[in-house]
Amino acid sequence: MESVLSFGLALVLAPLFPGIILKVKALFAGKQGPPLLIKYWTLAKLLRKGSVYSTSTSFVFRLGPLVACATAIAALLFFPFAGKAPLVSFHGDVIVLFYLLGLGRFFTIAAALDTGSPFEGMGAAREAFFGTLAEAAIFAVLILFFRLNGSLSLAGYFSGTQPIAIAGPQGALLILAVVALFMLLLAENSRVPVDDPATHLELTMIHEVMILDHSGPDLALIELGAFYKLFLYAALIASLLKPAGLAGPLTGTLAFYALMAVVYVAIGITESLTARLKMNMVPKYILTSFALVFFAIILTVEIA
Amino acid sequence: MELVLTALGLILAGGLVPLPMQRWSTGARATHIALLAAGCLTGMIGLFLTWNQEAISAFSCTWLQVLPLALALDSLTAVFLLPVFLLAPIVALYGYQYLDRDVSPWQTGAHQLCFSLLIAAMVLVTLADNLFAFALAWELMSLASYLLVLYDHEHEESRRAATLYLLFTQAGALMIFAAFGLLFQATGSFTFAQWGQAPHAVKLTAFFLALVGFGSKAGVMPLHIWLPHAHPAAPSHVSALMSGVMIKMGVYGLLRLYFLLDEPAPVLARTVLGLGMISGVLGVAYALGKHDIKRLLAYHSIENIGIILIGCGLGMLGIASHNPAMTAFGFAGGLLHVLNHALFKSLLFMGAGAIIQKTGCRHLDQLGGLMRRMPVTGRTFLTGSVAIAGLPPLNGFVSELLIYCAAFQGVRLQGPDALLAMAAILALALIGGLASACFTKVVGIVFLGEPRRPLSSPIAESGLSMRAAMIVLALACVLIGLWPEPFIRMALHGLRDLVAPAAGSPDPLGSLPENLALATRMFLAVFLLLAAGRHLVYRNKPVSQGATWGCGFTRPTARIQYTGTSYAREVVEFHQPFVKIRTVHKPITRIFPSLTHYASTVEDRAEIGLHRLLVAPILRVADKLRWIQHGHIQLYIGYIVLTIAVLLLVV
Repeated sequence: MESVLSFGLALVLAPLFPGIILKVKALFAGKQGPPLLIKYWTLAKLLRKGSVYSTSTSFVFRLGPLVACATAIAALLFFPFAGKAPLVSFHGDVIVLFYLLGLGRFFTIAAALDTGSPFEGMGAAREAFFGTLAEAAIFAVLILFFRLNGSLSLAGYFSGTQPIAIAGPQGALLILAVVALFMLLLAENSRVPVDDPATHLELTMIHEVMILDHSGPDLALIELGAFYKLFLYAALIASLLKPAGLAGPLTGTLAFYALMAVVYVAIGITESLTARLKMNMVPKYILTSFALVFFAIILTVEIA
Repeated sequence: MELVLTALGLILAGGLVPLPMQRWSTGARATHIALLAAGCLTGMIGLFLTWNQEAISAFSCTWLQVLPLALALDSLTAVFLLPVFLLAPIVALYGYQYLDRDVSPWQTGAHQLCFSLLIAAMVLVTLADNLFAFALAWELMSLASYLLVLYDHEHEESRRAATLYLLFTQAGALMIFAAFGLLFQATGSFTFAQWGQAPHAVKLTAFFLALVGFGSKAGVMPLHIWLPHAHPAAPSHVSALMSGVMIKMGVYGLLRLYFLLDEPAPVLARTVLGLGMISGVLGVAYALGKHDIKRLLAYHSIENIGIILIGCGLGMLGIASHNPAMTAFGFAGGLLHVLNHALFKSLLFMGAGAIIQKTGCRHLDQLGGLMRRMPVTGRTFLTGSVAIAGLPPLNGFVSELLIYCAAFQGVRLQGPDALLAMAAILALALIGGLASACFTKVVGIVFLGEPRRPLSSPIAESGLSMRAAMIVLALACVLIGLWPEPFIRMALHGLRDLVAPAAGSPDPLGSLPENLALATRMFLAVFLLLAAGRHLVYRNKPVSQGATWGCGFTRPTARIQYTGTSYAREVVEFHQPFVKIRTVHKPITRIFPSLTHYASTVEDRAEIGLHRLLVAPILRVADKLRWIQHGHIQLYIGYIVLTIAVLLLVV
């Protein structure tokens, strides 16, 4: 029951947090910014509208948003929010999780190519390339976690007797992992400095350009899927940052969501302070995160 | 065993009976398929009847009074026989409508005979239990497939590809027989079972010699050169059979030899694992750079052989380091991937064949928008694409997950093996991502969007028998994905007669199969719920059609779409210098540009290397020795006499 509740809470709260990013960016720009609940209003607005489909498209175009959102929700099934046991958990579930996200990416790209638009093709090509590199970096993180704690499931990482956390005995190594994961979060969720969710210049975009032709409830599904994906990555970092001793049902949850807010504020600050990278720098950026994790793995070899 | 032998007879009859009936084309084709299907069904029944028998059923006879032939059916054989029996009738069914009707009846008859011979030879290769049986079956397989590649023998390109294939397969066989010869010399026995007693050094030499031979058959980098030439040249259903089933015989030979030798030295495991990683990553990198759809699929076969070898290498590493869980996960993953790859790669080759047949075009960048014109081909090809990209909830993911689990087991090992296991995980992740990129490219460019060049005539869906074959295979991919438990157990069953079960752990896989099934079904439930929700939301909503948003550009044409070349450029460039890109481009220099052009091809490093290191020197030497060939018959007889005399004196 507790698992169902925490899963439901995550589903409901996920659209709240991107509002924090907008608020932080507005503060940096000296503006008041949109209300915190802006993303809920956006979803409601999109769900009320109808859709326009391009005559070039086939059923794949309609399948794209559905699969993207369904994979993101299914990925959240495995996550132990605030250390609560998740709905599903087994040895190897992290691999299933990241491959599910890969399935979402496959269909998002296919839907983009379905429009026949050169801009969307451009975004799709970038997403496919950067996504591949990011996936390799994420598996390096999984190797690191496996070496630290010998488990291959999110519940094993964060809710066992020996959770992986900065406060734990191997916290120093995890600083590297946290930095790398944060970099990957920015890359995988199309944030600055890899992509800019606010830009209006199609030539420079990745994710936003792929969904140019989606409208109405389909666009709402994509947005929702993106919120959940970002939520998942932020939750990974928040779980790593979680201090020991906050295990009570209420305090634990509160501390977890407070840390989540911190991660989103950090995203907002990064977006306010950095510029977008040139496209040919993005692979180097992602490989930097990979190098950080790899370094941490080498350090575990020394410890063992 | 008797049933499997009956199956062999029926399969051979499937090639011979249609021969006198060729004037009645439909009847001959139907007989061919019916006999093949009957044979394969009988074989499959035979497999399932012996599935749980502890005893290995064997059969032996003497051929020409001197050659003892021995056949045996053990668990490894059964696992490799299953894809043969499963795929052969489906591929033949596809061929029913795929083969041209306007070729001479004898050519069709010969094709059907070779097809039956190839299937029978593959069955015999897996059954063979001594040197003679294996050698005969192996050569029969090579020759039959060579003749099948030669089907379009009017084309220069086909002849060249077939000759290249024959060269590779014969050179490979030379290596395999050299290895067998060494083992025979060391043990004095033709039967496989005795070869485990050979000395350590002989075992290692034999294994590496055979690795070259089996590797070239399987298409392991850098011995894969024939594959991307032979597959595009052969008819599509032959490509499907060769790529889906025949190249796995190389893997079978390697595994069979490995278990015969019973040599736990980690160097074997490390070599196989390393070759697997190279084939996997470079295979998919080259595939991304290729624009001929069948050549692209051929490179994906190399990639998938890489994945299979990674699985088997990890399994061998598990044996070497006495880790039963790693052994089980690695081999189960590798063996299951043999079946999975047979299913989705045949499906993809069939789809490619349908596209080529209907559009007359095999270059990705000239196709487009076929999903609406060929809905069944498009949907089944999409299914195969998701499966080959190793994504859940389809079958490719099941075997890759098992291999991941084996690799994570390996991370616990000490020393270089742990590093290799980590490299295997990263290689698998990279392969997965690149394969996704490659198949979004194929699906996106070929089936989605708009046609990239005007179509001469409206394109119709492919024939009923072709569609039926593709639908069956697509359903099989979905079935294994959603109901993986029996198939994982089946793959693990392949080890029953080869690896002694570890004491104390009755089930090395734990509850992974059940959990995986649960996870995929939960995803499916989420997806269906969401789809139902979407359906509800879209009720009474205005839905209209319009042109694709051109970002303010008002006169878009189909030619401004992204092409396969532009889609893959960055990824392929990332793999330099392992991948060589050659571009031909006339840059624009003046304010009013004249007509310009751009072409890029990706060249295979292994091919360039082979040419520079082996072919060119041989040709140079051969050129110098030209004077030996002068056309005087009496001197040729003199050569023979001299050779025999020298041999008699020396040996």
